[in-house]
Parts: sequence; C-alpha cells; structure tokens
Amino acid sequence: MNDLVLGFARWLEAQPLSVRLHESFYMYNWIETTHVLTLMVSLGMLAVIDLRMLGVCLTNVPASTIARRLNKPMLIGFGVMSVTGIALYSAIPVRTTQSLWFRIKVALLFAALVNAVLFHRYMRRSIDSWDTARVPPARTRIAAGLSLALWAGVIITGRFIAYDWFDCGEANPAWVDAVIGCTKTVAAL
Amino acid sequence: MQLVDLFSALETSPVGAFVKDRGATFATIEAVHLMALAVLGGSVLVMDLRLLNVAFKDIPARTLALDAHKAFKVALAVLLVTGFFMVAGVATKCYHNFYFWVKMAALAAGIAFVFAVKMPLLRNEGEPPSAATLKLVALASTSIWLLVAASGRWIGFS
Repeated sequence: MNDLVLGFARWLEAQPLSVRLHESFYMYNWIETTHVLTLMVSLGMLAVIDLRMLGVCLTNVPASTIARRLNKPMLIGFGVMSVTGIALYSAIPVRTTQSLWFRIKVALLFAALVNAVLFHRYMRRSIDSWDTARVPPARTRIAAGLSLALWAGVIITGRFIAYDWFDCGEANPAWVDAVIGCTKTVAAL
Repeated sequence: MQLVDLFSALETSPVGAFVKDRGATFATIEAVHLMALAVLGGSVLVMDLRLLNVAFKDIPARTLALDAHKAFKVALAVLLVTGFFMVAGVATKCYHNFYFWVKMAALAAGIAFVFAVKMPLLRNEGEPPSAATLKLVALASTSIWLLVAASGRWIGFS
C-alpha cells in the first residue's frame, strides 16, 4: 500500500505541473494564501453551524434555517479548499506523502466527512422535533462538538506539515518511520 | 526608549524565550491563531453577507449581527493574545517587516471600525440606516479583515 502511494507521489513529482508549481516564484505562495484564507469561509460557516447545533449561538433562529442558508457558502469554500489543497500536494508530492502530519490530517478529514454524513442523515430524519429548540438533543450536540474537534485537528496538523521535525531522515523513532512509509534508501541519505 | 528597543526587549523577555524555546510552541500558538481566524472570518462573513442582502435573507439581520458579534469578540481576543505571543517570539524580525506594519495598521483600523462605526450603527434603536449605508459598511468590513488576514500570511513569505 505504501509502495503504491509513494510510487504515485514519485510519478507526480516528475510531472511538468508539479515541477512548475514547486519552482514558481509566487504561484505556490498565492495558492497557499488562498488555501489558508478560504478556511475563513469553509470553516467559518461550519463553526457557525456547529455553534448553532451546540445551542450556543443564534438559538432563536431555527437550526434548519442556519444549516440550509450557510450550507452553500460552506461547500463553495470546501470546493476551493479541495482544489488548492490538491494543488499544494501536487507541488511537493513525495515529502507531503511521507509527512506524519499530512497522514493524520487526511485521516481527520475522512473522519470529519463520515461524521458530517451520519449527522446529515440523522438531521433529515429528526429535525422537526428539535428545529426550534434553543438547545438541540444530545446526539446533535455530540456530532457538532466532534465536528469542531476534528476540524481543529485538521487545522493544527495542516499547519505542522511545514515543519521537518519528523521528516524521513530525521532521528525518528522506528514507529514514526513505519507510519510515514520511509523507505530504506531515503533513510540512508 | 525607541520602538525598536521595545521590540528587542520583548524578544529577550521570558515571554519571548518561552515562545522561542521549542519549535512546537510557536507552531501550536499559530495553529490556535488559525482556528480563531476561521471563527472571525465566519462571523464577519455571515454578518456582512446579510448586510449586503446577498445571503441569509430569512434570518433577521439584527439577531444575526448581535450573535455574530459575540463570536467575533471571542475570536478577536484569542487572535490578539496568540498574536502577541507570536510577535514576542520573533519581535525584531516583525519590527523590520513591512507587511507586519501593514497588518497592524489594518488591524487597528478594523478594530476601530467595528467598535466605533459598525456595531453602534447596527445597535442603534432609532431610525434604521439606509440599505446603501449598510452595504458600504459591509464592504468596508470584509475588505479590511481580508487585508489583515492576507498581510498576516504575507509576513511569512517576506
């Protein structure tokens, strides 16, 4: 599995698009700035929705109204995050693939998606019973709290990708090297 | 005492030393800064898109503005505290950085604008302001906070 992923990353690294992004003077910076600033849109909207679902803010507005109205800007934001995120990965594929923080980030993103899908289904079934309640039921609040925690983790791990504390070739504990898929040739450099 | 001495004193102080001590300290403080940035951006956007009458039209503007402002204040407080710690760690570099001062100017303008213009206008119980005024306020607000965020990011590139 690791060979597959690493093989893909090495192939991508050799592509003209990756090289040009990697060697650009400003393009990478612009893409990264967009990625970081757009989290104000995607995670900003998400934060407001989750705070409503926790019964912390805008409690006199129906929860379904908040969810419905903020959903579109949030998804537009996530669209931009995905595109810029893929571009950022493509610029430095091998190092990113072998980044501990990147791997944790991907796991957290996946968990956040699963949480969102499960909550959405639950909301559709049950919303009529708690839509106008100031404080929604426990299941809603748990999903919202989990969402905020997972996305906080995404932000933290995303920021840490830039640091080389646990890069292949650093003096890592053996389990770290195993988790991030360092190959012997890299470790020997 | 000159301003540059103040910055240098901050960097060599115990606060500065604490932030510099481990790479993970600055990084963690900065990650919290980013989380607060998301909440601030969300609250500003929600308020301003409503004032522009572009989105969230079935949520009463006053309710939205007052609740969003609460989230804004909490986020701003976290940003200021984490920002202070980050500057303490790299104070001299910030002092000599053009984009740092752009950010500080925009931040000062943003805070003054929100607390002296925008919120008094929205809280005013009397004659509601015209739609055009509200739209102008919304545009100014979004622009200034975008400038704060963008110049903040550009500090890292310069």
